[in-house]
Amino acid sequence: MPERYVHAIRLEDPGSEEPAATRERLKDGFPRGATRRMTQLGLLVGTTLDGLAPRTDDAVVYASSYAESRALEGYLESFPTASPTLFQTSIHPSAVQQSLIGRQHPVGEFFPLTGRGHLVAQALQTAMLARAPRVLVCGGEERGTWLLERGYASARTFAFAMALGAAAEGAVARVALERSGEPARELSLEQFFDRLRARATIDQMAAPGVRLTLTWL
Amino acid sequence: MPPTAAVRLEAAGCVTAFGNAEATHAALLRGERALALAPVLGSDGGESVPLALAGGRSLDETAPPNWLPVLQALRATIPADDWGAANRPVFVTSSNFGVGSLYAFRRHGDPAHLPFGTPAGCVEWLARELGWGRNVTTVSHACVSAHLGLMLASRAIEAGLAERALVFTFDFISPFVTGGFHALKILNAGFPAPYADRPTGSIGLGDGAGFAVLGDRRGDFAIVAQSVHNEMHHFTANRADGAGFAACLEPLRTAAAGRRLWLKGHGTGTIEAGRLESAALAAAFPGAPLVSWKGSLGHTLGSCGLVELAVAAAALRSGRAPGTVGGVAPCFVPQVALEPFAINDCDAVLCASNAFGGAHGAFLLSHA
Repeated sequence: MPERYVHAIRLEDPGSEEPAATRERLKDGFPRGATRRMTQLGLLVGTTLDGLAPRTDDAVVYASSYAESRALEGYLESFPTASPTLFQTSIHPSAVQQSLIGRQHPVGEFFPLTGRGHLVAQALQTAMLARAPRVLVCGGEERGTWLLERGYASARTFAFAMALGAAAEGAVARVALERSGEPARELSLEQFFDRLRARATIDQMAAPGVRLTLTWL
Repeated sequence: MPPTAAVRLEAAGCVTAFGNAEATHAALLRGERALALAPVLGSDGGESVPLALAGGRSLDETAPPNWLPVLQALRATIPADDWGAANRPVFVTSSNFGVGSLYAFRRHGDPAHLPFGTPAGCVEWLARELGWGRNVTTVSHACVSAHLGLMLASRAIEAGLAERALVFTFDFISPFVTGGFHALKILNAGFPAPYADRPTGSIGLGDGAGFAVLGDRRGDFAIVAQSVHNEMHHFTANRADGAGFAACLEPLRTAAAGRRLWLKGHGTGTIEAGRLESAALAAAFPGAPLVSWKGSLGHTLGSCGLVELAVAAAALRSGRAPGTVGGVAPCFVPQVALEPFAINDCDAVLCASNAFGGAHGAFLLSHA
């Protein structure tokens, strides 16, 4: 099973910040006028990606369980006069696209994944199988409103991005996936984010047949 | 960047409004159109637009979703294996998953719809219904989702992480998605005419589901090359110079060298994308006949890559490719084939799809 080195990590942990406040706080980091239609998750994921200075030969892996909850809620509320803007913004990979379209930044491979308890391991495996010299793994969630009340949106807003490469030199962490016959456990995106934030080691089964280790260097 | 290695296609199948891959291939050869005009919001009414629903189901969502029997029937045609075990991964791809259930909840307030509404909830439910284990990876990249599933499955096999892999795709239309494309004004009262040089474009939407079993040993077809590219230029438009199409096709030109090809394009019926796509395909593969089947089946969204792969495989087996049903002359490029044609002397078919954000996916399918 493969391994990669983490060369940079960017985190956004805005707590209970409302989307309008996030927009005001982060708008200077985006092209003028671009933030007006961006979602909170788009702003946060875009900010973390910007911190890694994306290159056109990077591959991008995006992980989110619920993705654009606010846009989805707004789109559903717009019926019977459906909003075309909210429709296109509500699609799963929109957070990354909002940012990269704003910067007119093409990428070759872009893998948007979703899931729950095995999503982190699946995203890292996807990154490790990518052909690009550098892979940006990003993800996050945004706090929902009426979908959250029903348990169908994230209760927390956060975003992260990390740059993975093959070289150990200059790395801040090593991430590896190993085959194991132990029973699978779950590692949610939010738990992974908290481990990154705390710079905590990870050594656990994270998907069927897959042990994930994250070691800080 | 090294390409994804060739992988064998052990089995493939699909469901459209016509039925399975063979029935769909036969209907397309006859020039039949599955699309029929129906209210864009189902029982909530609205303008009549071209839709193609599978299995006699209604556009209105039920709880559990009324498309489950269609998937159960498709599941019965997948070669038996321990799907979802550690070395038998399943890659599920879709654009909409069960999001139509959220529309139904919002419209009627019945919480019974909610468990199917999120991608994760929908796929977990589906995995239980279809008897898969827990090794299920879910890909969601709008209408190139199936292409990404094929690529990830191929790489898992190449890396020795899987002996066989199942790629499973589905997209069943609902007022959620018909309302969205109608709001974008590309789903309207007109029937799609892919690659036709006409003043106004239009698309149709259709149900679709499909599967592919990939491995490294068995199967009479191989996916010999795959490519993806993301323009990141505009959510609903491509770069005007066609560079995004060309960037996706370029890696496949090498793999296609020396082969006699035919081309199954994306061809939804929109004007600018059709013009750019057909020009890029004509430039990259001069003289190769080009078809789209979305004028008949409708755009089956995230499932289209696998649905059309299964139909293309049926065409390769039969030696006859359906033409561009719904297309009319004049077309953007002369190589658009409006009528069925013999492919006995062709080595391979290139299948291409596009998605929101200027996303492109393509692969080359050949006899093994």
